[in-house]
Amino acid sequence: MIETKQLVKTFRSGSVVTPVLKGIDFRARAGEWVAIMGRSGAGKSTFLYQMSLLDDPTGGEIRIDGENAHAMSANEKMLFRLFRFGFVFQDYALLPELTALENVALPLLMADLGKGEAYARSTAALGRAGLGARLNNLPSELSGGEQQRVSIVRAVAHEPKILFADEPTANLDNDSARRIMEIFTELHRAGQTIIMVTHEMEYAKLAERIVHIDDGLIVSEERR
Amino acid sequence: MMPLNVRIGFFLALRALRRASPWTTSLIIFVMILTFLNLVVISGILVGLLQGAINAARTKYTSDVIVSSLNDKQYIENSQNIIALIETLPEVEAITPRYREGGILEANYKTRKETDKPNTAVAQVIGIHPLRENTVTGVGADIIEGSFLREGDYDMVVLGHYLVKKYIPIESPAFTSLENISIGTKIRLKVGDVMREVTVKGIIKTKVDDVSLSAFMVDSQFRSMIGRNDGNVDEIAIKLKEGVDPIGVKNALILRGVAKEARVQTYEDAQPQFLKDIIATFRMLGNVFSSLGLVVATTMIFIVIFINALTRRKYIGILKGIGISGRAVEFSYVFQSIFYAVIGSAAGLALVYGFLVPYFLAHPIDFPFSDGILVAPVEQTFFRVGLLVVSTIVAGYVPAWMIIRKNTLDSILGRN
Repeated sequence: MIETKQLVKTFRSGSVVTPVLKGIDFRARAGEWVAIMGRSGAGKSTFLYQMSLLDDPTGGEIRIDGENAHAMSANEKMLFRLFRFGFVFQDYALLPELTALENVALPLLMADLGKGEAYARSTAALGRAGLGARLNNLPSELSGGEQQRVSIVRAVAHEPKILFADEPTANLDNDSARRIMEIFTELHRAGQTIIMVTHEMEYAKLAERIVHIDDGLIVSEERR
Repeated sequence: MMPLNVRIGFFLALRALRRASPWTTSLIIFVMILTFLNLVVISGILVGLLQGAINAARTKYTSDVIVSSLNDKQYIENSQNIIALIETLPEVEAITPRYREGGILEANYKTRKETDKPNTAVAQVIGIHPLRENTVTGVGADIIEGSFLREGDYDMVVLGHYLVKKYIPIESPAFTSLENISIGTKIRLKVGDVMREVTVKGIIKTKVDDVSLSAFMVDSQFRSMIGRNDGNVDEIAIKLKEGVDPIGVKNALILRGVAKEARVQTYEDAQPQFLKDIIATFRMLGNVFSSLGLVVATTMIFIVIFINALTRRKYIGILKGIGISGRAVEFSYVFQSIFYAVIGSAAGLALVYGFLVPYFLAHPIDFPFSDGILVAPVEQTFFRVGLLVVSTIVAGYVPAWMIIRKNTLDSILGRN
């Protein structure tokens, strides 16, 4: 489903060149839940950003359902993110002037769903995530856990092929983090492909496969 | 149906505006109002100073249309026929025929010693029918001392205030005025070879030189002074009915052959060329000031939107990250800019036409040569509204475009 070959990402600041990804070969199949782990600075988030087409790699190849991402225009990448990807950010990344309902509905509206259908689908999805009473609240009126749930609902409301998550529990207390992981588990059971970066082994163990990255390379994998 | 990017842009803009800080929104709108006023009021007042002078000349002297003698003629020949023709026009409300000759006024001649310099003033002497003159120009209401002429007044004059030293204390060899005169003072009036002793009945003050530098007397008596008994007059001021276009009446008179025997002018034609030149200059100056104001406003909106977009760079990155097109985000900033420009202009329009224009009409700015008003022609004002909106759209679009074209991830993570 998604595959990288010799993926390289190098950051350049003046004359200083910092290689972060040094040639990663990776493959995730449809419906799989992969946890990516590694110490800080190992390159796991950078790897996630390249796969989710939020950033452009310096070298190597990313193939999504056989399509080479390198050949895509910026607009095609945007459409990929809109229709086929979902992304959960560590800091929730909700738009502050939109309510929970509007945050979830926005990508659906951009996907040209009618307002009625977009709002109905968003309302139902938020209801399933236990946020039925918080539809019209702004992000600033929600707890961290609630904001992250809204973020997940937004990421999956359009039924993406792959859900990317960058340390989705990092800013949450234990109870909220567990609730988020329950949602991920439910999504996975329903067939959702998930690629998740995490520091927490407890949550990584919920995935089918754990990939360890260090110094820009995959150093080990364990299947569960 | 609107294109998708426009709809999403509108969706985002509406919510951004609805949930923006009321203080920030109010401040931006306040600045837009000031900008609008700068665009309209500065040039409007500059032009209004001159327009006030034109209005005054129209009201107090020329009226809407003025028929005067040709340059090579001493008076309007066949005046009575022309007067009769004018009076048949349905657009005409009233007319006042006038006689005009240059004259010399002299005061204190009884007490003057042989060696003293005569106390004289040069003036246009105008013979009028007081009732008709007052109906057309209403100058009777501008008397500041004494009273206006009446039909039977004999050997009486009303002086423009420039002829009286106490009102214009100017010491200049080129400009003389009468000293030590008041109501009831006897002065000498010399027109051609004819000299008469007359009594000052009133002093009139307007901001129109044609009135302020003139001495008025009753036409029947003035005719005898200048020896003109054929009924021919020097000029005819024509007051038109409300809403009648003076150009139409001027053309009608020319069409009927009046131009062969007299010069026919609207009140605007009758303005001296220097006044027209000053108006053109003031208009140009007003446009320069307005253009500067527009540049300042555009820069201000650019800075506001740029700072807004810069502080919201992360969210712009998130929008792009979740698949919202850059074009939709650009539209959202354009809509916000339009909102500020339209609300600012609407409030400015209300202020200009609801308050400032009526206020300056009721309380003109007291300049020595005119009562300054605020001139804001609707079509010019709306043209400036259009300019403001367009420049605001550009000022809103450019910074949004600059931020949006940055790398999506760099925007989300706040990297440079």
